[in-house]
Amino acid sequence: MLIKIQIIIGTLSLLLMFITFELIRKGRLREEYSILWLFTGAVTLLFSLWPEYFLSKFITRITGVYYLSAVVVIAFIFLLLIVLHFSVVISKLANWNKDLAQRYALLELEFKELKSQFPSPEASSP
Amino acid sequence: MEDYEKKFNSVEAPAKILIIIPAYNEEGSVGEVVKEVKQYLPQVETLVVNDGSKDLTSEKAKASGAVVLDLPFNLGIGGAMQAGYRFAYEKDFDIAIQVDGDGQHEPREVQKLLEVLKSQEVDMVIGSRFTGDSEFKSSVMRRIGISILSKAISTIVGQKVTDPTSGFRAVSRKAIRLFALEYPQDYPEPESLVLLHKAGLKIRETPVQMKERVSGESSITTLRSVYYMVKVLLAIVVDCFKKVHS
Repeated sequence: MLIKIQIIIGTLSLLLMFITFELIRKGRLREEYSILWLFTGAVTLLFSLWPEYFLSKFITRITGVYYLSAVVVIAFIFLLLIVLHFSVVISKLANWNKDLAQRYALLELEFKELKSQFPSPEASSP
Repeated sequence: MEDYEKKFNSVEAPAKILIIIPAYNEEGSVGEVVKEVKQYLPQVETLVVNDGSKDLTSEKAKASGAVVLDLPFNLGIGGAMQAGYRFAYEKDFDIAIQVDGDGQHEPREVQKLLEVLKSQEVDMVIGSRFTGDSEFKSSVMRRIGISILSKAISTIVGQKVTDPTSGFRAVSRKAIRLFALEYPQDYPEPESLVLLHKAGLKIRETPVQMKERVSGESSITTLRSVYYMVKVLLAIVVDCFKKVHS
């Protein structure tokens, strides 16, 4: 029973790391955001390779939960961290986006005013 | 002190005043508001901040003779007003006055705000619906909401503020600078009072008359006012702990 779960979780973590790696390679995910994902994959992989070690040395001593639940708990904590991290990133981007929109509008107004002071090129060319 | 003397009393350099009119889908009223402002205050410049409207707000405002700042998409009232303050800051205006584009603020009342701002040497004057001879009517729920909010804000800023959600307000150069750098985005009217207080700037209120809306709907409906109030209270509590950057 345990070995089945180990294989499933091991495959999933390898898949997660592979997808993350591919996303970075194709430029779809920025490196700074990928570290947490890679770390999550690595920890769950280690977990699937040596469950006894983690169970005896670490998890059960702290929480007393069984292997699968332990994995779920760990994964959940990581997901929480990642979601929180994304909220921070989105807030930062939203703020930059707002600043850019304002700056763009101010520049456009300035540009139109400046443009209206000059005759159009068609009128001035011979 | 000397700054104010120079700005307000000397003949050669009268205060440069900007009226900022934030407008989102207000094609039915924005033109009238601009015309009225120009009628009562011929010397001031009028800036309409078109907050990504999908109707003819921008065209109507331009036709009525205002300078129009077109935001590329809707930023909300906070983002739109900050764009206006940034304009005021960069173009060296001494005073900026917010007048809503829906027509509920009376342009002829602007003079009252200006007088208080100049004579009392404060950094923001709020036109209040609830002090003095104002006859503004609103729903019971909204009144209760505003009175609770008013108590909370009054406690935080250490002086009585009867109408913290009023968008009818005049600000000094110092406040323009502060708002150009940092302006609350979620509930800008009440939150900006906390920001001003934390930056050590002074606030006054003066009674004004307000009209019923010419067009458009209030962003605060009766049903939502309780939810709105809870969120605003939460936001201003958080604001109390925020760092002021400038």
